[in-house]
Amino acid sequence: MPKLVVKFDERVLAEYPVDSEMTIGRLPDNAVVIDNPAVSGHHARIFLEGDHYVVEDLRSKNGTYVNEQHVVRGALRHRDVLLIGKHKVVFDAVATAEPVPAPRRTPALGRTAYLNTRKHRELLARLRAERARARSQSEPSAKAQAAAFLRVVDGQTDHQEYWIHNPVSFIGSSEEALVRLQGWLKPRTAAAIVQNDAGFTVTDFDGRTLVNNQCLPDGSQQLKDGDMLEAGGLVMRFGLAVTSPAESGTEPESGQGTSPASFTVNSREP
Amino acid sequence: MRLLAAAATEKGLGRERNEDVYVLHVAQGLFAVCDGMGGASAGAIASQIAAATIVHELQQAKTAATAGALHEGPHRTQSCRLAEAVRESNRLIYTDGQQNPERCEMGTTVVSAWLQHDIASVAHVGDSRAYLWRDTHFQILTQDHTLLEALAGEGLDASCEELEEDPRDVLVRVVGREPEVDVDVVEAPVRTGDYLVLCTDGLTRVVSDTTMNASISRLREPQRICDYLVQTAARSGGTDDITVVVVQIVDAAGA
Repeated sequence: MPKLVVKFDERVLAEYPVDSEMTIGRLPDNAVVIDNPAVSGHHARIFLEGDHYVVEDLRSKNGTYVNEQHVVRGALRHRDVLLIGKHKVVFDAVATAEPVPAPRRTPALGRTAYLNTRKHRELLARLRAERARARSQSEPSAKAQAAAFLRVVDGQTDHQEYWIHNPVSFIGSSEEALVRLQGWLKPRTAAAIVQNDAGFTVTDFDGRTLVNNQCLPDGSQQLKDGDMLEAGGLVMRFGLAVTSPAESGTEPESGQGTSPASFTVNSREP
Repeated sequence: MRLLAAAATEKGLGRERNEDVYVLHVAQGLFAVCDGMGGASAGAIASQIAAATIVHELQQAKTAATAGALHEGPHRTQSCRLAEAVRESNRLIYTDGQQNPERCEMGTTVVSAWLQHDIASVAHVGDSRAYLWRDTHFQILTQDHTLLEALAGEGLDASCEELEEDPRDVLVRVVGREPEVDVDVVEAPVRTGDYLVLCTDGLTRVVSDTTMNASISRLREPQRICDYLVQTAARSGGTDDITVVVVQIVDAAGA
């Protein structure tokens, strides 16, 4: 009997025998339950048609993919990989042994997990940043005008000035960082600067970020023009500019005359 | 102040042992419920250390509290001492976990109440809750320290895609997992006829506030309320340990 193998991050979560017709979804009345918010209540249906199996998307919110191709309906072959939300479901047409269904995840009572203070702050900061990004994409015109820069006052780094264009910019040693820290023992992410409706906010990641020599008791703080920001061993002056140099092509004016002497549009800018 | 109190607890379905612990010191007006976590027997150890520490700390503090009353006011001292007792239990559990690798992931929720001078001081960490019942009104006194509440507090969408765990199942504050812990403190004035309820999520996940409210209105007697609530929760098929403490304020007057 063919089977479906549900995987997350290459980890096998469960295996299910394939009936002549079965549904995959988040709700408990599906034959294959994937209890994850990215999965629709009834996400997809798999059924036997003639001598082969067919997958059909049940108008799911995030769609159904077979071998990374978006499908509404399509035949399934041995070893095809379905993507349901973020879970992979492998169709194994020639399985022989009876698969063992995994225990149902619901109800998840008593499986309490703990997220330590640092991790949960990171998660909240990331989600905040994602929300800011989603918002800036939905209303690009007005927000694109706001621009800010960081000017390095003290410390070693790859540039002297950094323009903050993106909804979220990181200071750290990771490749995604706008302000790329150099040297051993530098944190992957020391701090993040998030652009939101109210302006720019710095979020501390490693507990060592200072604004005007003060630590951040709430983990994050609104930045004002002229603030001195210390993160990852760097001292930088934060400045607000009237227009973004990427759009105007001219040197921006900043509120307190703290405009960089020569501005460098960061090379990682798309 | 005259109190009548009762407790009930039941091991979750298919569990090896009950990791919940309660404290019922009616004469002192001290009550607590702790829900341990952290694998094998560690959860039960954490909740027991927490309960024992709170009792121990506040017995010692009893005389000191009356002395300090002159300067700080009795309620403030009472709440501070209760919170400090919870913090002390955090230190002890954390230290114990660091010294014993097999239980380095142990922790516990704590919801504790100390009733004196017509005031209920409530100190809590985690997702065990305190409620106050007054004249058919049922009010929650605590806010869960879960990821769900943390997300809601930020106005963030709790159903975001990247969360693999149910955010209700993820605690962002626990006693015993970090060197220090923030303890939430609430002070609620109590009157004759009020009821105070302390309970673990094994109850609140499966029994609604409405049912809890109705059971107090109907049954009135703390032991009967406790038994009814635990049985109702157990029948609903939850797999978590269930613990509830019900305190009836029979007479709020007097010392």
